[in-house]
Parts: sequence; structure tokens; C-alpha cells
Amino acid sequence: MAKKTYDLLFKLLLIGDSGVGKTCILFRFSDDAFTSTFISTIGIDFKIKTVELRGKKIKLQIWDTAGQERFHTITTSYYRGAMGIMLVYDITNEKSFENIVKWLRNIDEHANEDVEKMILGNKCDMTDKRVVNKERGEAIAREHGIRFMETSAKSNINIERAFCELAEAILDKTSGRESAENPERVIIDRRNNEKAPGYSKCCA
Amino acid sequence: MSNAGTQIDQPPLSFENAPESDSELRKRLAIETIITQSIDKRISLDVLIKFSLSSHGLVNDNIRRVLWPQLAGVDVNNLQPAPSLDALQNHPEYNQVVLDVNRSLKRFPPGIPYEQRIALQDQLTVLILRVIKKYPNLRYYQGYHDVAVTFLLVAGEEVAYAIMEQLSTTHFSECMQETMEATQRRLMFIWPVVKFENPELYTFLQKSTVGTLFALPWYLTWFGHSLNSYKSVVRLYDYFLASPIYTPIFVTAAILLYRSNEILKEDCDMASVHCLLSRLPEDLPFEELLKTSSTLFNKYSLTVIEKDVDEMIRNENEQRKAEEKRILERRKKTSRPVTASKSLGLIQWLPNVLTSKSVLVTTAVSIVVGVCAYYYKNQYLAAGIS
Repeated sequence: MAKKTYDLLFKLLLIGDSGVGKTCILFRFSDDAFTSTFISTIGIDFKIKTVELRGKKIKLQIWDTAGQERFHTITTSYYRGAMGIMLVYDITNEKSFENIVKWLRNIDEHANEDVEKMILGNKCDMTDKRVVNKERGEAIAREHGIRFMETSAKSNINIERAFCELAEAILDKTSGRESAENPERVIIDRRNNEKAPGYSKCCA
Repeated sequence: MSNAGTQIDQPPLSFENAPESDSELRKRLAIETIITQSIDKRISLDVLIKFSLSSHGLVNDNIRRVLWPQLAGVDVNNLQPAPSLDALQNHPEYNQVVLDVNRSLKRFPPGIPYEQRIALQDQLTVLILRVIKKYPNLRYYQGYHDVAVTFLLVAGEEVAYAIMEQLSTTHFSECMQETMEATQRRLMFIWPVVKFENPELYTFLQKSTVGTLFALPWYLTWFGHSLNSYKSVVRLYDYFLASPIYTPIFVTAAILLYRSNEILKEDCDMASVHCLLSRLPEDLPFEELLKTSSTLFNKYSLTVIEKDVDEMIRNENEQRKAEEKRILERRKKTSRPVTASKSLGLIQWLPNVLTSKSVLVTTAVSIVVGVCAYYYKNQYLAAGIS
């Protein structure tokens, strides 16, 4: 069993309406794959990927949540521990974009004050079905002072970049703080159930 | 099944062509003999329950098609024809249901003709919307479609509707409440069972703060969402249809107990344990697990379990309040000069150290320090900082 180390552990959270592609985004990032036969997420699930940023090995623990409103009481209890939140909408679904405001309110209510946020307009490969143009996404992000990107899990557009930018923003924030550093470079014993991920170089 | 019969020619669907074992063959023949000898294919409920609970359950889908409605208490001679999809498109949950039905491809047999699959998916949408339209107090949840598709594939749309109507007002009514609070509380019923059976495992799981969310999809879908083997899913459905209402709790406890060695070797933190538990091994010995589940169900009264859970919830609430208080106090302290708080701490401890019971106190202090260290370590872990 290979023993691996990491310097920092970042907890990220994916939220957004049902069907916007949260699980697909995560799957593209963690396994570099896409299939159209994805299943609905019930409750909450997570994946781990280790990336290297500025010479530091960063273990990303990414929690994927169910979009349906009735699971919100369950999923919001996970907001508190998150250091970064990705808020996803679907550029072919107007409602999912309108609900961004609602999700931002949710973050304000349940997450840490200094949580890093990012808005993602997913499915940007589906140009003929687009109903939310990029400018509207940019505008709402600017209004709330949040990073923004259009992504496609299917065509692998901006997925890695999004995660790395979010991780980098968290790194900027924590690098000043001694407590975030992992003083002992904790040894993780990777077991069979967890696919040992290779360290991927983040977008430099 | 008028609609299904006239619209598409629907052959029996089968996912696996595993050869029938000797014991499966014997059981199948025994059940088939009883069905043939019965009037109107009806067999006594006692016998039916025994068949469903014992090894291999109802063996195959041809038998399930006949006996599931009887197990669920559905009268197949009094079925209502399904409305058209168009008639239900205005339902507020329509979009959510369609989203989930479209993402249920995994539940259909591989190689099923496209037109047939689309027709079945439409039937699934209609089936679900019909139930929630008839019972406006029942709310659709993601996962409900996993239950409905299992019955649809075995029994056809009209029988499946009648079964889902029955189950939605009994077994799943709690899950279909306005919020998931009752379901979250129900899932905690696994803890007393695990605690009484394997205290070490219970302590480990509590220490990891894993919670019960790993079991949520199991409970909401009778494992249909989480198992890859179709054969195991329908076998479990035999068992649950013939069992009292909260039985999935006991199957969950049986799985945890069965995997205890593997679990105890895992890193004792929330993410690692959640990851291990939420992925069900392919080779779970379900017949054995179902026997354990029945034994556990008979061993522990729900009243005793419920009392224990209420106490757990009370303790958790108190702990949470105490924690919030501690955090507030810590914030106050950190805003004061550091030296002052340090010396204050020393003055508080010194008199105690000088008493005749100093050894005892020193031990107690080191335990407290240890507990505090552990607590803070966990706090940092919970915050994602280690």
C-alpha cells in the first residue's frame, strides 16, 4: 500500500439546482470521464483528488450534494465545514440561473463567512440550447464579487481550471495563516476502497 | 395491464442469465406447484411471507409478477387504467420527476430497445405523478423513482402503480413528508442496534462523526439505487415487502456488523468512513445478512431503540449547545491579552494540585487535557485543517 502525503486539505462543496451537472463536473475532474447515464445524487457524496499548487500537495475533498430542495436541511449542514463552494447553474435552464440568488442566500446563512465562492455556468457546449448568455453570468458574479466561469463537463471545458482557481484562492487566503499548514505532513494510508489518485499538476 | 399490452409488446426483462442453482430450482418448483394448485393464483399470506423471507425469496420475476401484488395487498382485478403523460405535465413536480427518470438508465436492462425504454420511462413518470397527484400530502423525493422503476419492470405499469400507492401510504410515507427530518431521525435507529451488538464498532463510528447519510439512499430506495446487481435488488424487495415497516434499518445494521473488521481498520474520520460505508461491496452475502436482520428485528423492540435514540438526540443537542458556548467563550478569550488568560488558568489549577488527592487530580487533569487535545484536533479536522 503506497503511503502518500499531503500538505493541505481543502474541503469543497458543489451546490446548485437538480440536473445542472454537479456530479458530472465532479466526475470529469476526479476521473476525467463523462457518461450520459448518470444517476441522481441522493443526499450527499464525495470524491477526493490531490493536486499540486505552488509546490504544495493539496488534497481536495469535494462534496457533491443532491439538488432537490427537500434534501436541503441535510446538505446545508455540510456548508459549515466547506472552505470553497462551487455554485453551478445550467446555461440551458433559465430557472437554474434565477435560483443562483437563492443559493447565494443559502451560503450566507449556512457557510463560514470567509468561504471562497465560484459560480459555474455548466453545459456551455450546448450552444443551440443556450438560454442564459455569458454576460448575465458574469454580471451576477460581478455583483456579488465572486469568480465566474462557463464550463462543460461533457466537452471538458474549464473543469480543471475551475477547481484549481478555487483551490488557489483558498491557498491565498490560508497561506497567511499558520494553522492551515499541516505541520506533520500527515501520512495517509491509502486503502483498496479508495482509488489512489495520481498527483495532477494544476493549471500553472 | 391494458396500456402496456396494447402499446408495446413487452417481453419479460431479465438482466442476468445466471444458471439456477439446485436450491433455487427446488424452491421455484415448490412455489410454482402451490400457485398451480391454488384458485385464481392466490396463495395464503403466511406461506407467501415465508417464501419471501427465506433463502432466494421468490426466486424469479415470473413468480414475482404474480406474488408481489399479493404481498403488497393489491387487488389485480381492480386496477385503474393509467392516464396519459399529457394529463400530468402541469404537475409542479413534473420537471423534477422527468429529470430523475431520465437519469435512471442504469436501472433498465442493458440492450433494451430504445423505443421500449422510452415507453417505460414515460410510464414511470406517469406512475410517480399519479401517486403524488392523488395524495397531495405526499412529496416526491429523489430516489422514489428507484423504487417505482423496480416494480414497473417486474409487474407492469398498472400493478406497479397500485403497489406504489400502497407503499407510499405505509412504508414510505415518512420519507414523503414535507421535510426529511423524520427520515433522518429514523436512520438513527441503526445506532442502538450496532451499540448493543458491537460496542467497539459503535464507538468507532460515533468517534468518526460519520452520521447516517451513507445509509440515506439505501433507506429511501430499499437499496435499489445503490446496488449494481439486479438480482440482489429484487431479492431484497421480496424481503422488504414481506417484512414490517422499518426493516431496512435492520438490514443496514446487519451490513455494518458484517463489515465491522473492515470498518475498524479505516481511518477514523468522517470522510474516510463515509466513503467506505457508502460503497456497498459487490459480494455482500445477502441471504446471510437478511437472516441477521430478521434476528436483530426480533431481538430488539422498537420502543427500546426509540428511547435510546431520543436520548442520543438529547445528548447531541446538549453537546452542540455546550460547544457553541465554548466557541463563544474562546472567542472572548482570544480577544483578551494572551498572558492574562494564561496566568488565570494557572491560578485556577494550582490549588487543586496541592491537595492530598493531588495524584488523582493530576491524572484527571491529564485526561482532560487529552480529551481537549482530541477535541481540538477534531475541530480542526472538521474545519478541514489538520
